[in-house]
Amino acid sequence: MMRNLPAAALLVAALAIPLVFGGNGYIMGLMVSGLIVAGVALAWALLGNLGGMVSFGHAAFFGVGAYTSAILSAKAGLPVPLSLLAGALGAALCSLVMLPALRLSGPYFALAILAYAHIFKILATELSSITGGSAGFQRFPTLPTIAGIDFSSRTGSYALLVVMVALCALVYRAVKRSHVGTALRAMAESEDATRVVGVNATLLKSWMLLLSAFITGLFGAMNAHIINFLEPDYAFSGNWSVLPIIAAIFGGYRTILGPVAGAVLIYLFDQIIAKELLPVGHQILLGLLLAGMILVAPNGLFGLFQTRRKGAPHAAA
Amino acid sequence: MFELLQQSLFSGLLVGSVYALVALGIALTFGAMKIINLAHGELVLLAAYMAYVIESRTGWNPYAAIPLAFAVTALVSIAIYLLIERIREHRELNSLILTFAIGVILTNAILLVFASDVRSTNSPLLQDAVSLGSVYAMNSELLAFVVSLLVMAGLWWWLRNSWYGRAVRAVSSNRDASMLMGIDPRRVELAAFIVAGILASVAGVALYTMSVVQPALGPALTVKAFVVTVLAGVGSIPGVFCAALLLGVTEAMTVTLASSALQELVGMVLFLLVLFFMPNGLFGARARRG
Repeated sequence: MMRNLPAAALLVAALAIPLVFGGNGYIMGLMVSGLIVAGVALAWALLGNLGGMVSFGHAAFFGVGAYTSAILSAKAGLPVPLSLLAGALGAALCSLVMLPALRLSGPYFALAILAYAHIFKILATELSSITGGSAGFQRFPTLPTIAGIDFSSRTGSYALLVVMVALCALVYRAVKRSHVGTALRAMAESEDATRVVGVNATLLKSWMLLLSAFITGLFGAMNAHIINFLEPDYAFSGNWSVLPIIAAIFGGYRTILGPVAGAVLIYLFDQIIAKELLPVGHQILLGLLLAGMILVAPNGLFGLFQTRRKGAPHAAA
Repeated sequence: MFELLQQSLFSGLLVGSVYALVALGIALTFGAMKIINLAHGELVLLAAYMAYVIESRTGWNPYAAIPLAFAVTALVSIAIYLLIERIREHRELNSLILTFAIGVILTNAILLVFASDVRSTNSPLLQDAVSLGSVYAMNSELLAFVVSLLVMAGLWWWLRNSWYGRAVRAVSSNRDASMLMGIDPRRVELAAFIVAGILASVAGVALYTMSVVQPALGPALTVKAFVVTVLAGVGSIPGVFCAALLLGVTEAMTVTLASSALQELVGMVLFLLVLFFMPNGLFGARARRG
């Protein structure tokens, strides 16, 4: 029972928020964006924890998911639920281009993926006949009303996102507990040794990259239909790489729910407190927070908590 | 058309020399510590803004800012080193995130202090064009090229002849063996970070004199430097220099033949091609990176 306590607490909080703040459009809007970041943070942590890879380029998946879904729903008339899926698949597809980078070791991979993010942003700006270029892309459908629930309303979007984040967390947990997860954990200890016993390390890492890109693209797509406006500088903004990293590190990237809780907290902190203190350059506070976390508690606040409770340094892994 | 190509070839070579300085800074700290300093682009940018401060406050030539820029970048570089030193677990990945965070802090600090406006030199002396046969260059570009070559020659000499330089090479090639030879790797790493600060300060000031700077430039510089190091393969100064010139020329050619918007893209494409077909880089035949 104790194991599921954090999950239960988060679920109660997720249910309580619309009951308390349901009428407050501002707070609900912040929560919706916070949950978008939470989904990306979850995907980032999955890649980091299971795949052992640090990515500085998740903005690429986010933007590709957003544009794919927006364009397909507007120009090909695809129903939005299907276009969301297409967006996620599009992001996974673009991660295929990054597979050669998996040959590179940790730091080189991280920088290669940063370079990829630049490429996709430039492409979105330059292919203006498809994406509308830097002028932006609008006039695409909002989230639909299904079974009487209007998903385009703030509360509707919120409910959808809570469900999606929970689903992704369950997928993450299933992968982590499967023998794929075991193999990946072994790989983190010693990649060469794992190869020797017949685990195809590169293949497993590729799957993690695909899955992480898929989830990120899905949230990018949902965000596009919630915001209903896209431009390259927004959809491929470095923020979609930076915020999830900070959220995941803050919450503990070796846990599943840490990044989720971290994302909402960090996003609210950034929007309500940091922006109030420093209208320009408010991300300096996030940078300081990230640096501080890495130095003081690299396993995150929730990781710190978990380690203490179980009293073993590897418990959080 | 031929004149245009000739001109872009020439300008690309001049810009490339500054890329080489930025890339060598990253390569040096990576060699000594096996850690990529993701805030290196921001260090260069910081130096460029010091040039702006000196020029706008005193009206002196931006190159007079090199001592100040060096003091600032060396201090920040030392601070980065001391912070990385404190990381105990998962050092490779955590240090990446840490330097990334420092990059975010520096970018936003520059934004806070200098606002998001683009800055460039207004010195007529530096902006004057000179013709060399059929090609033209700004004085600042020629000066940057000469200064970069001198600094690279200095670096080459330092790595080859000085005790610290040789120690940096020793630690880079085999840390354990160099410790057995009585080298304290921490002092050597610190030296590498300080020298990287020197390279960044010169590169930043040169960059300020020959183009425009803005707070968001840092990550782009880091990526460019990374592209150069991947192109060069395992670091030798001439290798990095050639790869940087190649990047500079490719970019300049793209601007001439296609559009300036694609300038950033072509470096990435070059980088991907090398990654696909020559994972050891253009000039590194043996060592394995992945």
